[in-house]
Amino acid sequence: MIGQILINFLFASAIVSSGAYFLSLRGNDLRLRTLGRSFLLVVFGGMLIASAVLLYNIVTHDFRYTYVQSYSSENLPWYLLVATFYSGQEGSFMLWTLLTSLIGVSLLPYVRRHQYESEVMGFFSLIIMFLLLMLVAKSPFAYVWETYAANGIAEGFMPQAGRGLNPLLQNGWITIHPPILFTGFASMSVPFAFAMAALIKRDFHHWVKVALPWTLFAAGILGFGIMLGGFWAYETLGWGGFWAWDPVENSSLIPWLVCVALVHTMLTQLKTKGLVRTNIVLALAAFVFVLYSTFLTRSGVLGDSSVHSFVDPGMFAYILLLVFIGTFVLIGLGLIVMRGRKAEFGNLNFKFTSREFTLSIGAAIIMISAMFVFFGTSWPVFHDLLGLDKVAATTPDFYNKTHLYIAMAIGVINAISLIQSWRATPGKQFVRRMLLPFGLSIAATVASYVLGIRDLRFTALAFSSFLALFVNLELFGRMVVKTPLQAGTFVAHFGVALLFLGIITTARYTQTEHLRLVQGEPVRALGHTFTFVGKEQVEKHFLDREKWQYHVRVDDKEILKPVLYWSDYNQRQSAFLEPGISWGFVRDVYVTPKATETVGDPPMLTMKKTQTMAVPLDTSYNITMVGFDMSAMMQNTDANKLRMGVQVDIEHNGQTSSHVVYTTFMGEQMASRLPSPVQIPNTSYWISFDKLIPNRESLGQSQVVLAFVDMNNPATQPKDVFVIEASVKPLIGLVWIGVILMVAGFFVSIARRVGDLKRELSRKATASGEAKTPVPNSPVRVEAE
Amino acid sequence: MKPRYIIGGLIAAVALVVGMYSLDASKIAYSDLTYAEQSGKRVQVKGVWVKEEPTDYDSKANRFTFTMQDTTGRNVRVVYNDARPNNFELAQSIVVKGRLEGGVMHADQILTKCPSKYEGNADDLHKPAAPGV
Repeated sequence: MIGQILINFLFASAIVSSGAYFLSLRGNDLRLRTLGRSFLLVVFGGMLIASAVLLYNIVTHDFRYTYVQSYSSENLPWYLLVATFYSGQEGSFMLWTLLTSLIGVSLLPYVRRHQYESEVMGFFSLIIMFLLLMLVAKSPFAYVWETYAANGIAEGFMPQAGRGLNPLLQNGWITIHPPILFTGFASMSVPFAFAMAALIKRDFHHWVKVALPWTLFAAGILGFGIMLGGFWAYETLGWGGFWAWDPVENSSLIPWLVCVALVHTMLTQLKTKGLVRTNIVLALAAFVFVLYSTFLTRSGVLGDSSVHSFVDPGMFAYILLLVFIGTFVLIGLGLIVMRGRKAEFGNLNFKFTSREFTLSIGAAIIMISAMFVFFGTSWPVFHDLLGLDKVAATTPDFYNKTHLYIAMAIGVINAISLIQSWRATPGKQFVRRMLLPFGLSIAATVASYVLGIRDLRFTALAFSSFLALFVNLELFGRMVVKTPLQAGTFVAHFGVALLFLGIITTARYTQTEHLRLVQGEPVRALGHTFTFVGKEQVEKHFLDREKWQYHVRVDDKEILKPVLYWSDYNQRQSAFLEPGISWGFVRDVYVTPKATETVGDPPMLTMKKTQTMAVPLDTSYNITMVGFDMSAMMQNTDANKLRMGVQVDIEHNGQTSSHVVYTTFMGEQMASRLPSPVQIPNTSYWISFDKLIPNRESLGQSQVVLAFVDMNNPATQPKDVFVIEASVKPLIGLVWIGVILMVAGFFVSIARRVGDLKRELSRKATASGEAKTPVPNSPVRVEAE
Repeated sequence: MKPRYIIGGLIAAVALVVGMYSLDASKIAYSDLTYAEQSGKRVQVKGVWVKEEPTDYDSKANRFTFTMQDTTGRNVRVVYNDARPNNFELAQSIVVKGRLEGGVMHADQILTKCPSKYEGNADDLHKPAAPGV
C-alpha cells in the first residue's frame, strides 16, 4: 500500500523535477533549478524507501504481495532472497529506476561543476519519469487479490507459500550479474542526456570532453555485466559456451557496441573537432538501444525464439515501452534537426594516413556489428510487425559468419590506429613502428598454424589478433612507466586481442564427444579418461527438490560433480542441470549431463496380494505379499509424488518377520521412482519395490514387482549409467582474461580523462583567479576543494 | 563528391551484401512435412509430440526417436542424434529442424516451446507452506 502510493508520488515528483529544470533554462532561473534539484533528490530518497519496503516485504515473506508470492519462497538463502528483488519484471524496473536515480544524484555535483545542470538533469529526470511510469502501470506492490481479482481471491488473503525462484537462477551469480548489468543500462542515460543538453546549449564540442568519462564508465560496466552473464551461462547453466547469440544476450550487446563506437568517435572529435553529429546520434542510439533491449526482452515479442523465458506483461506495458522509445527518438532527432545544422565542424577530410581516419573506419565497423546483431535479433519481430509469415530466431550461424570478418577487420584496425599519429602518419614512421609487431605476428601465426589452426579464415583472424596483441604489448611497455594512465588504452585493446584468440580456440577447436559412462568403468575419450564413480544426493533437507551430484573422475586426478535435479517448480517433469568443469589454463574439460539409466537386471518377482513365492536369491526364504500400505500416500499433499508401500512377510526356517517396502513414484505418468530398499534380517539381501502394475477394477488386486539384490554379489546389483556430453575447450581462459583486461582498460581510461578535465578546470580557475577572486559556492571553488 | 561519402558508401554496401548473404544462408523455412518430403531441403517443422507412439532414447547410439505430428495432422518418426531435449515432456509444441528422407525426419535440432512455463497463476496461491524448512 505504502509502496504503491510512494511510487505514484515519485512519478509526480519526477515530472516536477524535469519540468522545473527545463523551465529554469528560460532566463537561467535559479529558484526553478533548485526546485528541480530538490525534487530529483526526493525521487532518489523515495526510491531508496520504496526499495527498502519491497525488500522488507520479501524478507518477511509477505505473500499477500503478488510479486513476493510469484518470485520468492521461505526456503531461499539470504543472497537468493535478496536477488528475488529483481528476478521478476516489476522488480527489475525498480532496480533500474533506483540505479538511474542513484547515477543522477551522483552526477549532480559533476554537472554543476561543468555548468550543465539544468539541461542534463532535465533529461535525466525525464528518463526517470518514464521508468516510474512503468512502475505505476505495473508495480511490485500489487496485492494478490488485486492481481487475481477475476479469480475471486478474498481481500487480505495471505498465501501460505511463495512460488519460489526459478531453480535455473538459484546460484550466486543472480546476486551479482543483474545489478551490474542494470548499472550499465542506467549509465547509458548519461551520454544521451549530455548529447541532448549539448544541442540545447549549442555547445557542440565541450560536451564530448565532459561526457567522455561517463561514456567510458557505461561501456566498462555494461561490458563487465555482459561478461558475467556469459560466465554464468558457461559455469552454471551448462549452455556449453559463453555466448549463444541468444536474443537476450544480443539485446544487451547492441547498446554496448554502440557505446564502444561512441567512445572512439568522441576521442576523434576531441582531437579533430570532426564527427560532431555522429557523436550526438550515437549517444542517442546507445540509449535508445537500451530501451529497445528492454522492449525485446520484456514485452514478450520474442517469446517464441529464445531460451530465456518471458512473461507477457500485457498490452499496456508493451505500448508504454514503444511510447517510451518513440518519445526519446523523436526528442533526439527533433533536436538534432533543429540545432545540429548550426554546429561548427572541424576539418572532416581526414587524411588516409591519420589516426582519426582509421578510428572512424573502426567505429563504422563496430556499428556494422551492432546493426547485424540488431537486424538479426529483430528479424522475427519485424516479420511480426509487418504481418509477414512467422520466422524463427536468426541462427547463431549468421552472427558467427559475419563476425568472423568483422573481428578480422577490428584486429587490424586496432593495431594500425594505435601506431598511427593524429592528422597524418609519415610512411617511414609507420613502417618502422609496424615492423616488429608485424614480424612477431607472422611468426606467431605460423606457430599457431603448426599447432592446429588450419582453417584459413581462422588463420587470418589469428594473424589480425596477433598484430593487435603485439602492437599493444609494445606500446604498453613503452608507456606504462612514464604515463601509466595512458596505458589503459593498450590494456583494453590487448584484452580485445586476447578475447579474439580465445574465441578462435574455443569456437573453432572445441572437441565434443557423447559418452555413456557405466558406473565404475573408465571410458577413454578426447585424450582423457572419464569414470563415473557414483552419485550423491545433496540438499536433502529441501523436500521441494531432489538434487543429485554425479561424480565423474577425470584422469584419476579430479572429480567433477555435474548436477541433475528435479524440482517442484516445474512439477519435476524435466530435470535441471549444472555442468562439471575441470578448469585449466591450457584447456577446460566440460561435462554436461544428458541422461541417466540403469543396466543389469536384478532378479524380480511379480506378486499379487496373498501370494507366496520363494526369494530368487536364496530359495530357503519365502516371501508373502500381505497388502499395500497407503498411509504415506494419504498424508502426502504433493500431487506430483506418490509414496506407497508393500507389506510383506519373510519366512525362513519357520521364523517370520514383517516388513514394509516403500517407494516414491513421480514424474511424468509416475514413471520415475525412488525406492527405499529393505534388508532381510541377518542376510545381505535387500528387497526393493520396483514397479506397480495397477488393476483397474480394484487397486487392492494390483500387482507389484519386487527386485532382490545381494550386496555380497555384484552380479545381482544394477548399475547406474550416466550419459554425458564431454568437451575439451582449449585456452578458454583467454576469453575471460581478455574481457577482464578490456574492462580494466576502460576504468583506467576514466581516471585519465577525469584527470584531464580537472587540469583543465584548474587552468581555468587560475586564469579567472588572476582576474577576480573566486566566489564561494562557484564551480571553481568546488573544484579547488 | 567527397571521399568520405565514397568510403562510407563502400563500407555500407559491403556490409549489406555480406549481411544479406549470411542471413539468407542461415535462414531455414518453416514448412509442413509434405513440403519437407518433396523438397528434400533442410526445413523446420512445427508440431507436437505424439505420446501414444513409442518414444525411446538409445544411450549407446545416442539416438532419441519419437513420433511427431505437424500442423496439418500428418505423423512422422523423428530420429535425433542426441539425448532427449530438455523440457521435452513439458513442451506444448516442438520445432524440429532437419531433413525428411526415406519417410524419417532426421533432426539436427529440436526446440521445445513452453509458453507460460514459469508463469504464475491464481492456483499457485493455494499451495501449502513449504515442508521441511
